[in-house]
Amino acid sequence: MTAAAAPHDAGLHAGHDDRPWLRRYVFSTDHKTIGIQFLFLSLTFLLLGGLMAMVIRWQLGFPGTPVPGGSILPDAMAPGGVIRPSFYNALVTMHGTFMIFFAVMPLLTGVFANYLIPLKIGAPDMAFPRLNMWSFWLMIPAGTLALAGFFVEGGSAASGWTAYAPLSNSPLYTGVSAGQILWCVAIIIFGASSLLGSVNYIATVVNLRAPGMTWMRLPLSVWALFITAILALLAVPILAGAIIMLLFDQVLGTHFYLPTGGGQPLLWQHLFWFFGHPEVYILILPAMGIVSDVIANGSRKPIFGYTSMVFAIGGIAGLGFMVWGHHMFVSGMNPTLGTSFMASTMLIAVPTSIKVFNWLGTMWRGNIHFHVPMLNAIGFLSMFVIGGLSGIFMAATPVDMYIHDTYFIVAHIHYVLFGGSLFAAFAGIYYWFPKMFGREMHDGLGRWHFGLTFVFYNLTFFPMHLLGLGGHMRRLYDPTQYPFLAPMQPINVFVSVSAFLLMAAQLPFVWNFFWSLFRGPKAPLNPWRDNSLEWTVPSPPPHGNFVETPTVYRGPYEYSVPGEPEDFLPQDRPAPARQEAH
Amino acid sequence: MDAADHKHPNYVAVWGGLFVLTVIEVAAVYMRIPRHLLVLALLLLAAWKALLVALYFMHLRFEPKRLALVALAPLPLGIILVVAVLQEFAKR
Amino acid sequence: MAPAVQPAAPPAEEGIGVYTQKLGMWVFLASEVMFFTALIGTYIILRWGSAESWPVPQDILNIPLTAFNTFVLICSSVSMVKAYAAATHDDQKGLRLWLVLTVLAGATFVGVQVLEYRHLIHEGLLPSGIRDGSPLAARLVDSGKLTATAAGLFGSAFFTMTGFHGFHVTCGVICMTFVTIKAFRGGYSGGRFHGVEVIGLYWHFVDLVWIILFTIVYLI
Repeated sequence: MTAAAAPHDAGLHAGHDDRPWLRRYVFSTDHKTIGIQFLFLSLTFLLLGGLMAMVIRWQLGFPGTPVPGGSILPDAMAPGGVIRPSFYNALVTMHGTFMIFFAVMPLLTGVFANYLIPLKIGAPDMAFPRLNMWSFWLMIPAGTLALAGFFVEGGSAASGWTAYAPLSNSPLYTGVSAGQILWCVAIIIFGASSLLGSVNYIATVVNLRAPGMTWMRLPLSVWALFITAILALLAVPILAGAIIMLLFDQVLGTHFYLPTGGGQPLLWQHLFWFFGHPEVYILILPAMGIVSDVIANGSRKPIFGYTSMVFAIGGIAGLGFMVWGHHMFVSGMNPTLGTSFMASTMLIAVPTSIKVFNWLGTMWRGNIHFHVPMLNAIGFLSMFVIGGLSGIFMAATPVDMYIHDTYFIVAHIHYVLFGGSLFAAFAGIYYWFPKMFGREMHDGLGRWHFGLTFVFYNLTFFPMHLLGLGGHMRRLYDPTQYPFLAPMQPINVFVSVSAFLLMAAQLPFVWNFFWSLFRGPKAPLNPWRDNSLEWTVPSPPPHGNFVETPTVYRGPYEYSVPGEPEDFLPQDRPAPARQEAH
Repeated sequence: MDAADHKHPNYVAVWGGLFVLTVIEVAAVYMRIPRHLLVLALLLLAAWKALLVALYFMHLRFEPKRLALVALAPLPLGIILVVAVLQEFAKR
Repeated sequence: MAPAVQPAAPPAEEGIGVYTQKLGMWVFLASEVMFFTALIGTYIILRWGSAESWPVPQDILNIPLTAFNTFVLICSSVSMVKAYAAATHDDQKGLRLWLVLTVLAGATFVGVQVLEYRHLIHEGLLPSGIRDGSPLAARLVDSGKLTATAAGLFGSAFFTMTGFHGFHVTCGVICMTFVTIKAFRGGYSGGRFHGVEVIGLYWHFVDLVWIILFTIVYLI
């Protein structure tokens, strides 16, 4: 079937580009432009979320003292620079909301799925370019509405990113009404954006692969992004439905989650986590995919156990829908149900370990090149293992009862989400920056950025495990209120100082990013000597990507093939005139 | 490639089936049938009607099997969600 | 993993075998299934998880009227599929006729639903429950047949579920109107039937959801 690879739009060929400026850079339907737009947007939101974290850390490390420069904040938030408890709750909520929905999720799927999928499968663009554009432009009102919460009467949503009912659906408890409504609307719009993205990614991977690009020749990053899109497609509508009911509880007077009206607050938790756990994998699977590509490249070896990697991604995704109850062990759930959730959760360790051992197997006896993306990928690998192991602690119901809602949970989520997803995102940015912008990033600055981030990241988040085991509650405004937490206050100070340094360690990245954008040396076609199709087109690729639809002859990880003059063998290079020896 | 064959089943017959099933459903409600039996019957009838619509109006019957997979994928997830939560609340 | 060499024509693995717009619509519908799972599932859970006795639908809702409305929606599905069949045979007259009938049936459904809502609200059923002092309250709550709490939950779930279904039908009618206009301009002539088929899938899906909703909310 030729249609599998034929451009959906007959006029789309690489080379001639006569779009007006506005269609080219602003309301563009080109997947590459949209990916880059997502990159700038998500990095902006990442910065915002990071700044919120800094204020939170200041309050926890030095409670009751004015935040430096905090006097610019209005009195409703921080009179004289001292954080109000209500503002603290809003910050915690919005830090989570922004990092998960508006920073990491668009950073991993919005940027890399958009930019990489068509290039890696040899397609001229996404299946539905116009929907793709909408997917980006819906993120702007979503983010703006969420932010607007800070400036309305009563302040921003303050019931945590999980918005547990009835804390969230009645202003009685948090004193927030308009902010929570704005939060709901923002997340619903975000859901629409995510849906458009997912439909696009799935349809593109299924129907627009180039000739010869069979399923088992797809790069693992594409596999991971594809499965992630399926997860988002099926999980996010549940959140949308749940949030619509939460919104109606507030504006229409319904009683879905209000116990006073006969509603079930636990129903919110079930619906939320039925979305929430797949969401966790939405945030980590693309990271695993990016890391697989980078580690194989950095080790100059074929990825170890390609097929098992694919099935592991599928297994993690499938199991991910059956474990949501492990977030609710203390909700008084039926022990039979709790035990089955415990078992299914522990089962996830199996496909996850398969992936970890496969990465180690890939690096084993490899000719490892420690380039900056590879450093970040190894950072991902080591930190993700720590986060994964603490996850197994929490999967055990009796242990979870003890550490539930403590800083142990905070440490865990940051080990997988910062240590996992963000290191992989950095690896991805360093890796594909030359392709995206046609310029190379500075190597030395990249190494400094990675080293400093790695050190201060561990200094920030590892002590949180200890705080949590000591009983330090999550979302606590002032730890010094409790005598039993007072001896641990020095740890809190240490964590806060490390967090500030971690933030400062991002400066080399910001400088490197913008400096390289304008002044970096011109990037060659294939700086990493990679096999995948995006490295066969110019940097940056032209509108329409490929002059001729490429033909694929092999998988993407054929590194160091014996008998080849180079240590890599691009996917579209016709096979040499001999039988390949495997 | 897909302009080649369009199987058009007898749509009016499907419509007749849907109509009859609906009439049976509504009539059953007004008859004195034991509650459990009624609920079971209604659910089966609804599933039958839904299947008619999906197979013939949405042409699932004439599509590649893999497309049916796309359509069916969400159903087990929805059932898992509802059954697990229901047994959690209905333990009275 | 890489198979043999010198493939002049490499083993081109096919896509799923349907054109991309249709695939996209099916993928979108999969996500819609999950959305309605959240709403219908909530109704099921609230109903069978509620400690109090749930209202008998026939006591509050007008079953014959809604049965008629169900019939209208089923008819619109048939006319939709007839329009599609006409489009594949390049029968422009048939296409236009059936599309207009579909739009009319869809609009009728929404219209009847609006009338039903107006009547229910007048009777005293609101999303927040049964209004004090309304005819429904007198008939059900004051006579002790139903607690105000159960009535409140019923109102919440009823209006949310049927409302979102109605919203989907309304969106369908609007899209279908554009399709009809395009059909009158000859946009689907010469075997270009994809647009009709794709919107038809959405339309039948909305019909399918109504079949489930009607059984669960109005009959059981």
